Formats: sequence, structure tokens, C-alpha cells
Amino acid sequence: MRTLVLALAALALAAPALASEEHPTQGELERELVCPTCHTTLDESDSPVARQMKAYIRRRISEGATKSQIEQELVDDFSPSVLGVPRKRGFDLLAWALPLGGIGVAGLALAYGAWRWSRSREDGETPSQPPSAAAPPLDSELDRRVDEELARFDA
Amino acid sequence: MKVLRLLAVAVVVALLGLLVWDVATSEESKVARAVDEGKVVAAPELVLPYHEGDGTFDLAAHRGKVVVVNFWASWCLGCKKEAKVLNEASRRWRSKGVVFVGVDVNDFRRAASRFLDRHDVGYRIVRDGPGSTLGKWGVTGLPETFFVDRNGRVVPPHVLAAATREQIDAGIRRALRS
Repeated sequence: MRTLVLALAALALAAPALASEEHPTQGELERELVCPTCHTTLDESDSPVARQMKAYIRRRISEGATKSQIEQELVDDFSPSVLGVPRKRGFDLLAWALPLGGIGVAGLALAYGAWRWSRSREDGETPSQPPSAAAPPLDSELDRRVDEELARFDA
Repeated sequence: MKVLRLLAVAVVVALLGLLVWDVATSEESKVARAVDEGKVVAAPELVLPYHEGDGTFDLAAHRGKVVVVNFWASWCLGCKKEAKVLNEASRRWRSKGVVFVGVDVNDFRRAASRFLDRHDVGYRIVRDGPGSTLGKWGVTGLPETFFVDRNGRVVPPHVLAAATREQIDAGIRRALRS
């Protein structure tokens, strides 16, 4: 039963992706692809080359081209930068480094927190030892009186 | 707490370092600006595949000749305007050994081919789809034209719009004298 539910869920998720691949819309491609001269997505750009790219996408969609085909053709003519992937150098490197760095830092913070927590638990367990081991010695007067009381009690 | 504070400082220092490095290694060239100020500067590298056919154009291999480098694209209005002028100039100056090269940037290959056919462009065209050479030369718009002398140096003028016959001739003469 669980397998069937999982399979149906996977199918439900895969269907739109497949439809998008087979029959891409103008809007989704304009939102995902980047104008090479102004470096914004096509839907936000009105530069001459962006207009040319939009017209090209419209024509290729009407010809039945898939999303991957259109993207590949644009990459061939321009470069992979039209796919909107940040450069792997300079300040743009942050787009790649920050998520990975964030995961690393979060991991370290978690490990540190776990270590501190385990330390505090160990410290908390100390009182379970016999009190005599940790308690300060009685002063001699009090000691003498306790002995007297115990002797009287025994008598 | 002390560890967190140290970590925060390290992150800020790292970000600043990255910013400084980005500025220091920026591809933005001062070539165009220097030429506009009347200076003669070494031409940046220009190695690109030809638009049609095999092979690669290498500016350095043309040392000893004056080279006119024109950045253009099929979608650029100014480029359409200057196409005839550049084409005529390339034919007029060919006998003097002047080389014209058109750098097609940020453009569709097929659109560029149609443009070249329509304007009957007779000089060599190279392709720079991603526009990777723009930064090195300091190109900020299209079209732009540079003149490289026989020693591989860019000489004034640097034409920032559709080039006229007078501008092209003046640039070539200056490069030939340099």
C-alpha cells in the first residue's frame, strides 16, 4: 500500500516536470533564461538581444521544440551563462560557497552544541556519587557532639 | 560565545577579502578609457574562432599589420548603420595591408550570418557568443571600433558609435604612423 502511495506521489510530481520539458511555455523560459547583455532574466529585460531571444523561443515553441533543445541551442549561440548559473569566480562565487559553507558551519555548530550538552550532562551526574566523597569534613566540636548523641542512643 | 564571535569576524574578513580579490582581478579593462584619453596602450588578447569555417583568429599573429577591430552584433542598430562604411573601408585599405576583423558578440549565429549576407561583409568575422572579450577591451556598448598599430598597440581614436568613413580613415592613418 505504502509503495503504491509513493509511486502515485512520484508520478504526480514527475508529470508537471515532464509536461514542462515536452511543452515548455514562453513564460517559464523567459523567467529561467538570462539576457547576455543586461544579465537579468529575459522577462525583465527589453534589450534588443533579449527581444531577439524571446522571438526565437516563441518560434521554437511553435515548432514543437522541447525545453532542453531550446536551452541547448541558446547555450550553443551564447554560453552557459544564459542558463542563469552564477559564475564560479569573484564575488559570484558566494552563490556557490555560501550554501556549502552554511551547511559546514551549521554542522560544526551542531557538533559543538552536542559536545557542550554532553559535557553538561556529565557534570550534572556528579551529585549521584556518595555525598561523603564531596562533602566538607565536620568541624571537631560538631563531630564530638554527634559521637556523644550516638553513644547515648546506643546506651 | 567567544568561538561564535571569532567565527563572525572570520566570515566578515573572508567576505571583505573576496570583494577585494574580485575588484583586483576584475576583467574590466582600462584600454578603452586610456585610448579615449589619447594614450597608446598594448592591445588585449583577442583569440576567437571564425564565424564561418575552421580556425581561430589571433590578433598577436597579425603583428606588423594595422588591424581594425570592430565589435558588433546583428541586433545592434548602429552596427547596421556602419556596415556599409566598414565594408567599403576594408576594401579600400586592403591593398595597404590593413586587416579588418569584426567581433560578433552576444548574438545568434544564424542572425549574424543573415546580417553578413545582407550587408555583403567582405572581411573576417569572429564569434564571441558570451561576450568574453568585451571586458578586456573595455567595450561598454555596440558598435565600438579600435585601431591596433603594427606593434600591437591600440591607438586613438576609439570610436564609440557607428563609425564614419572619416573616423575609420583617421584611425588607420594614426595606426600606420604610430
